[in-house]
Amino acid sequence: MSGTHADDFLRVIESHKGIIYKVANSYCRDDENRKDLIQEIILQLWLSFNKYNDQFKLTTWIYRIALNVSISFFRKEHRRTPISQPLPDGVLNLNENPAPEQNNAEIEKLYFFIRELKEIDRAIIILYLEENSHQEMAEILGLTQTNIATRISRIKQQLKLKFSLYKP
Amino acid sequence: MEDTEIINLWKSFDKKLEENLKLNKQNAEDITRIKVKSFLGSMKPIKLFTVLVGLLWVGLLDIIIISVFKGASPFFLLSAVVLVILNKLAIGIYLYQLILLFQVDISDTILSTQEKIASLKTSTLWITRLLFLQLPVWTTFYWSKSMFENGNPVLLVLQVLISLSFALLALWLFFNINYKNKDKKWFKLIFSGNEWTPAIKSMELLDQIRQYKEEGKGGKGERRKGGKVKG
Repeated sequence: MSGTHADDFLRVIESHKGIIYKVANSYCRDDENRKDLIQEIILQLWLSFNKYNDQFKLTTWIYRIALNVSISFFRKEHRRTPISQPLPDGVLNLNENPAPEQNNAEIEKLYFFIRELKEIDRAIIILYLEENSHQEMAEILGLTQTNIATRISRIKQQLKLKFSLYKP
Repeated sequence: MEDTEIINLWKSFDKKLEENLKLNKQNAEDITRIKVKSFLGSMKPIKLFTVLVGLLWVGLLDIIIISVFKGASPFFLLSAVVLVILNKLAIGIYLYQLILLFQVDISDTILSTQEKIASLKTSTLWITRLLFLQLPVWTTFYWSKSMFENGNPVLLVLQVLISLSFALLALWLFFNINYKNKDKKWFKLIFSGNEWTPAIKSMELLDQIRQYKEEGKGGKGERRKGGKVKG
């Protein structure tokens, strides 16, 4: 790979790092596993970077890979054996207290409830909260727009119920 | 909490996340220099190796069957033929897995990719089912005509009972190792190790995918379920 190609890739990762973090955080609560998952997602993005088809939006491609890797990663019961040498530090590092203090507990709760959903429902709600259109969601997920609309409505009901029943 | 509150909560975190999330450029650059196989690519050589060893094994069994065909006991021949057929089916499953491995594209849609990966993982259960189906032939290959003509009747009855029990057990396991029984005690006992976890979780995911596909057929699936909203 040429340096320019790698530079292009790093720019893509830099500008979409939030997507990668949020997807990984929705499938992995544990810090160490999340670090591994983020590394795996970025590695798979790099390995597929040559094959990126520009008929799709860049975010569609990133969501597909990040979600596919996360769902497959989630199926493994215990920490995976990395296919590559694990890097000493994370690729994406989050400074302490990223959320406003009053929102910390609420956002933690939201992620907790999202992690309780089934794997594909989890993907749907992430894409919905990220304000993707139904058409974009259909392209990422491979579901029909009608199917997505029905599912979103059910998942929202589930989340509302979880919030209303939650007792710390 | 209302929809808008949930969305606003996500957005508020999103904003802070963009401000506080730092990319470690050195580590990211290191990733671009790592020489590794693509997703699931590392599984290809072992599957290919298994297929080759399997072909050699059934080839050897075929040669043995052909060479002793005229003189061997019919019980031995029948047992060996059944064993070869089951082994050939198992090789067929490994070939199917290899095809899936070559078809999986991690940048394809979630449903398509996950269906292939989950099918790949659950197909290992098919190999286990075939393995169980081999059980009875290991109790019959040494039978002979003289055993029935001159053997001790008590031992003979015992032998037939053992083989019959193995046959029934093998058939029962073959038909009952499936997703519906995943929560049964006997199922958990057989598939208790960590190495089975991906296969069992894949069964659950395949079930989810089937439900999505069913619902995707213009809502027909939901109507068939009496319009119930699943929680």
